[in-house]
Amino acid sequence: MEISSFVLFWAAIFTSNILLTNFLGMCSYLSVSKEVESSFGLGMAVFFVLTATSALNWIVYHKILVPAGLVYLQFIVFIIVIAAFVQLLELIIERYAPALYYTLGIFLPLITVNCAIFGVSLFLVIRNYSFGQSVAFGAGSGIGWLLAILMLAGIRKRMKEKLVPLGLQGAGIALIITGIMALAFIGFSGIVNVQ
Amino acid sequence: MISRIFIDIAVACGISTFLALVLVIAQRYLADYGICKVTINKKKEVSVQGGISLLGALSDQQIFLPSACGGRGSCGTCKCQLTSGGGPVLPTEKPFLSAKELGDGIRLSCQVKVKGDIEIQIEESIFNIRRYRTKVIDIVDYTYDIKGITFQLIDPQRIDFKAGQYVQLESQPYGKVKQKAVRAYSISSKPQDNGLIQLIIRLVPEGICTTWVHNHLKVGDEVFLTGPYGDFYIRDTEADMIFVAGGSGKAPIKSMLEYLQVVGTKRKMTYFFGARTCKDLYLTDEMKAFEKVFPDFKYEPVVSQPCPEEGWEGKLGYIMPYFPEAIRDPKNTEAYLCGSPGMLAAVQKALVELGVPQAKIYFDSFG
Amino acid sequence: MKLTPSEEQIMARMQPGVITLNGFLGFDTRNLNEIIADDEKVLEMLGISAEELAERMQYFSDKTFESYDLPVLIDEIYEVETNIVRGKLPCPFRHPGIYRKTITTLTNRKQQITVRWTALSIHTIKEHHFFEGKGSPFRLDPQILKKALLD
Repeated sequence: MEISSFVLFWAAIFTSNILLTNFLGMCSYLSVSKEVESSFGLGMAVFFVLTATSALNWIVYHKILVPAGLVYLQFIVFIIVIAAFVQLLELIIERYAPALYYTLGIFLPLITVNCAIFGVSLFLVIRNYSFGQSVAFGAGSGIGWLLAILMLAGIRKRMKEKLVPLGLQGAGIALIITGIMALAFIGFSGIVNVQ
Repeated sequence: MISRIFIDIAVACGISTFLALVLVIAQRYLADYGICKVTINKKKEVSVQGGISLLGALSDQQIFLPSACGGRGSCGTCKCQLTSGGGPVLPTEKPFLSAKELGDGIRLSCQVKVKGDIEIQIEESIFNIRRYRTKVIDIVDYTYDIKGITFQLIDPQRIDFKAGQYVQLESQPYGKVKQKAVRAYSISSKPQDNGLIQLIIRLVPEGICTTWVHNHLKVGDEVFLTGPYGDFYIRDTEADMIFVAGGSGKAPIKSMLEYLQVVGTKRKMTYFFGARTCKDLYLTDEMKAFEKVFPDFKYEPVVSQPCPEEGWEGKLGYIMPYFPEAIRDPKNTEAYLCGSPGMLAAVQKALVELGVPQAKIYFDSFG
Repeated sequence: MKLTPSEEQIMARMQPGVITLNGFLGFDTRNLNEIIADDEKVLEMLGISAEELAERMQYFSDKTFESYDLPVLIDEIYEVETNIVRGKLPCPFRHPGIYRKTITTLTNRKQQITVRWTALSIHTIKEHHFFEGKGSPFRLDPQILKKALLD
């Protein structure tokens, strides 16, 4: 059954949130979620890059790799495309939005190695999405990731004043919170199935 | 089979090359800001290569704004007024700027990137500031932690400064220190010796620059100095003068007295030097000698904690109680102070209580 | 746990020769978050907050400011003096403002303990719960600090 781009966009945010159902992009999610401000910065950067690279990688895959019979090179090519795009984005932001560059800038290079970005590019190949679906899925996943990291940052901010058992402080409690958040998101999963 | 491998490699390389090319082109057009125009005080125009910081662009043009951290945005001394251009205020600048300064367009020049034409306002005296290549010709130990270092100017060969101003010294990387450091020190030699600069530098615990000066600097070494800076200098009036110094604060006062020795003066002058122990006293004979040079000058070293074995017979305790006997007419007295903030606060309070007008108290606080 | 880029920058500024000669970390091999977390655990055990300690330190430093170079005896127990030397330091956490190089030395006569701190130490303890790494010249062990300031 063909899913419309619009449905896929919302599904990527709620029912199959890239972070909370696939647990992709955990590394920066755990380490940057201590402050709401910086997690918003990183989340926005992930959103931009995800939307753009899912479009780019769709073009590269379907217009270059498939006709040339080079599908097995997809991993390496996707990574190169993502890295190059992040570089380009960094240049553009530095030139035209220096204030944004300073809040976002340090997180941009980090995104190159964020597995959520790579994961989305692979999903759109495996699930055989059309171009429109790919962009919608990329944008939705970006917003979903932003939403998840903002929620965790908000919770962690409140957690600072609470007593956490010694062994669970830091990453331990963050993972437990993420697990509970993921359980809550399962509540949405009956609405649409994107697999 | 072989041709298949070649095609694969060619396609992979082609994609990479294309992306690299896009990046190179982007870099060429996005990161190149061309030649930008900086207009200073609405009359002087300089052309600078875009993309670098305003502080760096100006220093390339031999205009040196004061800067103590070397452009890292951590000292806040390179403030400068931008009347047009410069882009939005960055988060790295905000901590150093008051609401009024933000309103006046004051920015940290090391954080402002020149990306277009800019108009700035700076003080005229900044045009006199140069970067000097110098050679150390003499190092003397004044006390266990204070050294006097004399530099010979090599390029440019002459400096024009007022007695009491300061210069900035660049230390080179050494030991664990990987970066240059820039720190300010008062000039202790007289302005008439314009081919030389003497600095009096006290070793600061954990200090990056003073440790370099004390433990690594040798006669013959090349050192860069930038200056002169500061508005601590003798006002040309006929008023009586009180000098107060503590620690290495003796430097600017020494420069002032040597300057007055050359130009001559009949003003009544008293110089109080506050030291903790007798070990902290230095240049005492040289300062006493000024009593014979000037018609009305007195040097008063005061020691607050003399050790019994030192046998100190001079003035004891704090310097403030000795002020009344040095002041003839408080309204007609100027005070020149250089020392630690705690001492300056106490001395200022005492002087104002004695009737010396606040406007006539000039000081060089340890900045 | 990994450090964020801004935390890595903070650690870079704490290295020797960047802000101070010997840096803020001493020979400590723990990272910034671990140093802070470990000291916070000790504070919790002692039942005192970093803010309370910092306020107490500020109180002693303020008391000595007026007497600019003689030691002051406070409450018959604390012998305190403050030395101010040339220069100012920025906060390695990039907080607003710059801090004078003041060094306050306090001797608790009853406990026979001497501790010393700078204006910057008060700030890093109050705002960042950072007591510096082991082996740093201005490391303040919370346990010793509490004993010196409050007992």
